[in-house]
Amino acid sequence: MAVYKRSYKAYSGALTPAWSRFTVLTRYGLGRLFDSRMFTAYTVFCFLPLLAGLVFIYFVHSSAAQMVLGVKFGRQPLINNEFFLGFLWIESWLGFILVAWAAPGMISKDFANSSIQLYLSRPLSRAEYLVGKVSVLAALLSCTTWIPALILFGVQAEMQGNGWGWDNLWIARSIVVAGLLWIALMSLLSMALSVWVKWRIAATALFFGVLFFMAGFGVAVNQILRTRWGWLLNVPQMIFIVWRALFRVPLSWVELHRDTVPLWSAWASLLAICAFSLWLLNRRLRAREVERA
Amino acid sequence: MDAVIQLENLQVKLGSRLILDHLNGALSGKCIGLLGPNGSGKSTLINTLLGFYPPLAGRVRIFGKDVQENLRELRAQIGYMPESDAFIADMTGVRFVRFMAELSGLPKGEAMERAHEAFFQVGLGEARYRKLGTYSLGMKQLAKLAQAIAHGPRLLLLDEPTNGLDPEARQRMLQLVRDIRDTGEVRVLISSHLLHDIEECCDEVIILKEGKIAALCNLEEERKANLKFLELEVTNENGFLESVRDLGCECASFGAGRLKIVLPDNIEVRQLYKLAVEHSVQIRRMNYRRDSLEDIFLKAMMNGATPAPAGQKALSHGRL
Repeated sequence: MAVYKRSYKAYSGALTPAWSRFTVLTRYGLGRLFDSRMFTAYTVFCFLPLLAGLVFIYFVHSSAAQMVLGVKFGRQPLINNEFFLGFLWIESWLGFILVAWAAPGMISKDFANSSIQLYLSRPLSRAEYLVGKVSVLAALLSCTTWIPALILFGVQAEMQGNGWGWDNLWIARSIVVAGLLWIALMSLLSMALSVWVKWRIAATALFFGVLFFMAGFGVAVNQILRTRWGWLLNVPQMIFIVWRALFRVPLSWVELHRDTVPLWSAWASLLAICAFSLWLLNRRLRAREVERA
Repeated sequence: MDAVIQLENLQVKLGSRLILDHLNGALSGKCIGLLGPNGSGKSTLINTLLGFYPPLAGRVRIFGKDVQENLRELRAQIGYMPESDAFIADMTGVRFVRFMAELSGLPKGEAMERAHEAFFQVGLGEARYRKLGTYSLGMKQLAKLAQAIAHGPRLLLLDEPTNGLDPEARQRMLQLVRDIRDTGEVRVLISSHLLHDIEECCDEVIILKEGKIAALCNLEEERKANLKFLELEVTNENGFLESVRDLGCECASFGAGRLKIVLPDNIEVRQLYKLAVEHSVQIRRMNYRRDSLEDIFLKAMMNGATPAPAGQKALSHGRL
């Protein structure tokens, strides 16, 4: 019907599959983020470590390139589990900035303008709403964390040859698991904090606060109570402990002589943060507030 | 006409408060008015229709289907215009409406086309590429209506659609609602505390008081039934009232010669004149008057809430 026919008409055409509705949220969410040139430029910047990694792998495997640059790499394998852990760590923190930029605006705006009731009055459940929003962050973080790391892994496997890829397939598995853990943690935590703090700037500040000020608080707890369990409040440290175990990187001399928490407690603290974030989201993510008398 | 909304012993509790208490009734009008004072449960009823609040007991059916059991299917057939501001400030109007239509299940192309149509229909065609945050209050109300109709619902829930509008914008909004109603393709439920809005658009009305149905009546039937409802002002009564009653009319005196009379079908007005002559009574004023919605509303508020059994009208046609 043309726009000049200005009378109401019921819709009787085909509908999109019910399962795919959350992708509308994802598509529009990504679209709105990339409307910003600054955000687009920063996203491109996040791919620089990938480029640097590709160049490095090329130089390691190219004698001609090494001769041109006048450097000689020793026999020690440079592209190993520590390389991929380091790469993923750098990319993850670049991705963290992306999340801190994107997440608060994505969800707090829906609450600030009460548009959440419009979403949920449609054939879209609360879980689908959350999946739609988390998918935006998951897509961004995937493109800046485990996917580039897997690309490097593939390139290294191809250039090294001799079954290196098969022999080190566990590194690929570790890359995926570490990446997904990071995505789940960052997405859920940022969403949960954004839902509770409707003001975007405050939500961003709170996100940074939970990650970094809590770490400082943990150190204070360790000092005052003469314990090591304060480390559990240091989220980046807990992530690193888990990642190091996934990538089979041994503890450094300093870490061996510093009281740290066991691996199981690091896993437990990260999973507890995810569970707590889900609980917060479940409490708050509703079309209507119920005021309890 | 088939019932659009059926309330079957519906109870809704929020926190520790029982907000809706044993609501029963079937609503089948083309345009249904939901009336009640603040805190009577209007918004809670709308939220229950949308499935936001699960009933404590009883059930709600829309188009014969239980809301809780067929939530997804029914939500696809409902257009909802909330009372409060609900929009995404940094989105253009047409993009916002398209987005909402896509969430309702329309494919991209169809959603885009219908978003443009909806904007022209509500009279915001020229402003559709402006960001919603820059809209005036009246424009935001119209944009909310556009998002509610863009996906072509079968039931439109309008929560205080004229809230905050100036008289001109209010008339425009009511005309839009009437136009939508008259297409016959959609049923409309309007929640409002403005009796005039309901009277202008609705053919059926449900009045809530303290979470109970105080009145449920068909305004069309009400209007037809009151065609011979007269207001008289006479100089003195002089037995005139008794004679009128003897004719078979229901009548009541409100003092100072003010009378209200309901004429049965077989009684003509000229018979009243004859009686007036016989009793030497001067008729100073005679008005045909129908029970206005205000009368019905006030009567319902005074009578208190009386839960009606399913399918039964809680308030019969207006009588004296």
